[in-house]
Amino acid sequence: METAGLAAAGMEMEAAGTAEAGTAAGATAANAPDKEASSSLAYAIDIGMLDLENAEFYVTPGGFTALKYAGKDYKRIALRRALPIGHPMEYISVADKDNKEIGMIRSLCDLSEKQYGIVVAELDNRYYSPLVYEVKSVKDKLGYVYLELVIGRDDRKYKKSCAVKDVNKNIRMLDDDRLAIFDVDGNRYIVPSLTGLDKKSLKRLEPYLF
Amino acid sequence: MLKSYDFQYDLDLAMQPAKGTLSFDETGRILSRIGDKTLLALPAKEIAEVSVIPGVGCGLLFARRDDDSEILLCRFTMSSMKAAGEFCKVVNFYAQTKQYVIPDQKEKPVCEKCGRPLVEGMSVCLFCYNKISVLKRALELLRPFAGKIIPAELFLALSSVMYLLVPLFSRILIDEYLRPMKGTFRQILLLAGAMLLARTVGELIFILSSRVFNEASIRYANHLRNLAYEKIQKLSLNSLSKRTPGDLIRRVMEDTTTVKNFISDGGRWAVEQIIIFGIVLVILLFTDFRLTLLVFLPVPVVCLVLSRFWRFIHIRYERQWRKNSKCQSILHDIIKGIRTVKSFGKEEMEIKKFSNATRELAQISSDNESVWACLFPTMTFFTGIGEFLVLYYGGNKILNGTLTFGVLVQFTMYITYIYAPLRWFVSFPRWLADALTGMVKIFEILDEEPDITSLPEPKNVPVAGRVSFENVSFGYKSYEPVLRDINLAIRPGEMIGIVGRSGAGKSTMINLLMRLYDPNRGRIIINGTDIRDMSPEHLHENIGVVFQDTFLFAGSIYDNIAYAKPGATIEEVIAAAKAANAHDFIMRTADGYNTIIGENGHSISGGERQRLAIARAIIKNPSILILDEATSSLDVETESVIQDSLSRIVRGRTTIAIAHRLSTLRSAHRLIVLDEGRIAEMGTHVELLRKKGIYYRLVMAQRQTSRIAENN
Repeated sequence: METAGLAAAGMEMEAAGTAEAGTAAGATAANAPDKEASSSLAYAIDIGMLDLENAEFYVTPGGFTALKYAGKDYKRIALRRALPIGHPMEYISVADKDNKEIGMIRSLCDLSEKQYGIVVAELDNRYYSPLVYEVKSVKDKLGYVYLELVIGRDDRKYKKSCAVKDVNKNIRMLDDDRLAIFDVDGNRYIVPSLTGLDKKSLKRLEPYLF
Repeated sequence: MLKSYDFQYDLDLAMQPAKGTLSFDETGRILSRIGDKTLLALPAKEIAEVSVIPGVGCGLLFARRDDDSEILLCRFTMSSMKAAGEFCKVVNFYAQTKQYVIPDQKEKPVCEKCGRPLVEGMSVCLFCYNKISVLKRALELLRPFAGKIIPAELFLALSSVMYLLVPLFSRILIDEYLRPMKGTFRQILLLAGAMLLARTVGELIFILSSRVFNEASIRYANHLRNLAYEKIQKLSLNSLSKRTPGDLIRRVMEDTTTVKNFISDGGRWAVEQIIIFGIVLVILLFTDFRLTLLVFLPVPVVCLVLSRFWRFIHIRYERQWRKNSKCQSILHDIIKGIRTVKSFGKEEMEIKKFSNATRELAQISSDNESVWACLFPTMTFFTGIGEFLVLYYGGNKILNGTLTFGVLVQFTMYITYIYAPLRWFVSFPRWLADALTGMVKIFEILDEEPDITSLPEPKNVPVAGRVSFENVSFGYKSYEPVLRDINLAIRPGEMIGIVGRSGAGKSTMINLLMRLYDPNRGRIIINGTDIRDMSPEHLHENIGVVFQDTFLFAGSIYDNIAYAKPGATIEEVIAAAKAANAHDFIMRTADGYNTIIGENGHSISGGERQRLAIARAIIKNPSILILDEATSSLDVETESVIQDSLSRIVRGRTTIAIAHRLSTLRSAHRLIVLDEGRIAEMGTHVELLRKKGIYYRLVMAQRQTSRIAENN
C-alpha cells in the first residue's frame, strides 16, 4: 500500500539522515544538547497539539473528512504534512475550511485504528505521487525531457507520458536512493528505490541523476 | 442532443486512474460519469458555488449548496487543474445569474500530427516540430546578412581547395622527381614553393573568411536578440509570468548565442567539411578505386565508436558542469548572505557545505580526466585504422609494382581529410539539435501573441474623471480566484485607501487598474470608457505608481527621475524632486542630480530610494496616482517626511493607496476593506471604526503591536 510505502520510506530516511530529511532530523539533533532551551521554548510557544482523546474524525455524506473537537464540528478539514519527505506520518496539521489551524497531530500512531484509517485516507487523497515502476523511454526534445513511465499506486500499474522542464530542478534525489520527478503540469512521481529499478530503466535515468 | 460543458477528469474517488466526465448541461444538471456509470447528478440551481481545492500533485472539485452543505464532485491530477478552473467559472456564472452561457470548449491542445498533448507554454509538438521549417525560418532571418555570408563561404571553399593541393604536389614531388632521381634542384624548389604558396594563400583566405563569418554571425545573433527582447517588452505580465526571469534571460542571451555559434562554427565548418570530403572522395576514387574502398571499410565502425564515445563523454561532462554550477550557486548564496552567516555564527557550517560541494566537483573532474586520458587515444586509434589498412594494402601493391610510392603518400595524406570530417559529422546531430532547440525557443517568444492587446483604433479618452470597477473577478490561475465581484466607483480627485490582510487581493486590484492583467469577468471603466478600449501606452502615460520595492536603474539620479518622461526639462525634474522631498538630500551629494546610483540604487538609503521613486511617478503629472505600500518599508521618521510630500502630491488627483500601517490612510476619503477577494467593508476611517468589523480589528491589532513595541 502506498501509505505503508511512504511511511517506510520516511523511516528509512530518518535512519539515513540524508539531505532533505537531514534538515528536519538535523534540527532535532542539533537541539538535543540544548534540551532546557528547547523545552522552555516549547513551554513559551504552544504548538497546539490536538488532544486526540477528544477528537473524532469522520467522513461527511458529501465525501469530506470532518472533525468533531472541543465541542465544535468542523465540516471540512484540511490535513497537511509538516515534513512530507522525512516524516510523512508525523506532525500533521489539521485546519478548518478557512485554512485556520485547529491543531497538530504529533504522530498518526497515536490515533485509534479507525481514526488512523480516516486520516491516512485523507492524506493519501491530498498527496498524490504515484510510484515509478519502470522507465520505458527518455528523450531530450527542445530542452524538455520527455519520459514514458510505468507508474501506479496501490500496485495498479499504468503507462504515463510526461514532459519535464529544467531537469536540474525537477528531477531530484530525495535521498541516496529515492528520486522525485516533477512534470510541467505539476504532477509528481516518486522512484521509491533507484537500486530497485530494472537495469534498462536505471540506465535511461542515469544522465539526469545528479 | 443537449448542449453541455464538459470537464474530463482523470482520477476516480479512490485516486485510481479513470476517464471521467463532469458535465453541466443546458437543463442545469451537473452529472459525473465514469464510462456508463453515473456517479452523481446534481441540479445546478441548488448550487451556490463550485470551487477547486488544490492538493499536492492533484486537486478536487466540490460544490457548495445554498444550505451551505458541501459535496465532492470529482478528483483529478494536476494535468486537469486548468480545465477544472474553467469548469468552475462556467457553473459559477450560472449560479450567480441563472443564465446558461457556455464558452467555446477549450480542449487541452494536442499535436495535430501525433495526438500527444502539447506541453504547457509550447505551441509546437516536441516530437513533430518541423526541423526543416525551423531551419528555413532561421535562414530567412539570415537573408539580410547573405551579402557577407555567401562570399565568406566561397572564400572558405577556396581555402579548402588550396589545402588539398599540398598532397597532390607531394605525389608529383615523390613520383616525378625524387623516386626516379631525375628532378633538378630548380624543379624541387618550384614544387616546394608551390606547396608553400598554396598553404599561405589558403591560410590568408581562411583568415579573411573567418573575419567575415564572425562579423555576420555576431550581427545575426544581435538581430535575433533584439527581436526577442523587443517582443518580451511588448508581452503582458500574464504571458511573462508563465516563464521565470532566468528562462527569459536564457532565451535572449544564451539561445541566441547557441544559434550564433552554430552559424559561425557549425554552418561554416559544415560547408568546408562537405567540400573537402567531396573533393577528396573524387580524387581518391580516380586515383585508386580499390584503395579508396579500403579507406571506407572501417568507416561504420569509426562512426559507431565516435558516436558512443561522444555520448558517454557528454553525459560525464554534463554531470561535471552541474556540480560546478552547484558550487557556484552555494558560493553566490553565501557571499550574498555573508552578514546573516556571520551574525548566526555559521561560518564553520558554511565552510563544510562548500568544501563538500568542491570535493564532489574535484572527484568528478578527476574521474572525467582519467576517462578522457584513456578514451581519447583509443578513439584516435580507431579513427586511424583505415591508415593501417591502406599502408598494408598499398605497401603490397608498391612491392608488386602496381602502385607508386607517391600515390600511397598522397592517399595517406588524404585519409586525414576523410576522417576529420567524420569526427565532425558524428557530433553534428548534437550540435544541430542544440541550435534547433535555441531557434525554436526564440521563435516561441517571437510568435507569442500578447494577451493584453490594443484595439486597432483605441479610444484614448482623457484618463481623468470617474473610475469604476464593475463586477470585476480575477485570478492569476483561473482555478484560484483572487478578486470576486468587485464593484467600486471612485470619484475624480478622491483618495481611496485599500486595506486587508496579506493575499486579500489589494495589489491585484491595482494591477488590473494599470491593465497589467485583464479581468476574467467584469470591466474597469475610466471616464466612461472600458480601459481595454484604450491603448496600454496611453493608460500608463496617465497613471503614476510607487511600489514598496522600488526599482531604480543603474545611472544618475537625474536619469532615474526623468525615466517616466524622457523629454522632461531640468526644471520639471527638480520640481518633481522637490515635491517628493528628495531635492534636499540630492543637493547634499557631491554631484547633485548627476550622482550615479548603483544597481537598484544600492548607494542610497531606503527612504531616499523611495523619494526618488515618488519623484519619478509624479514627473509626468499623472491624473491617477497609485501608492502600493509606498512607505511601509521605511522607519516612522522617514515615513512622515514622505507622507508629508505625498499629502501635497495627492491633492486634486485620484489616488489609490495600499498601506499596511493603517494610520497612513487616515486622510483617505474612503477606505475599502478587502477580505478573501471581496469588498467586505467601505467607509471613512471613523465610520469603519464605529462599525467594529474587520477594519476595527485590524486597527486594534496594530495598536496593540505598537504598544508592545513601545514598552520594549
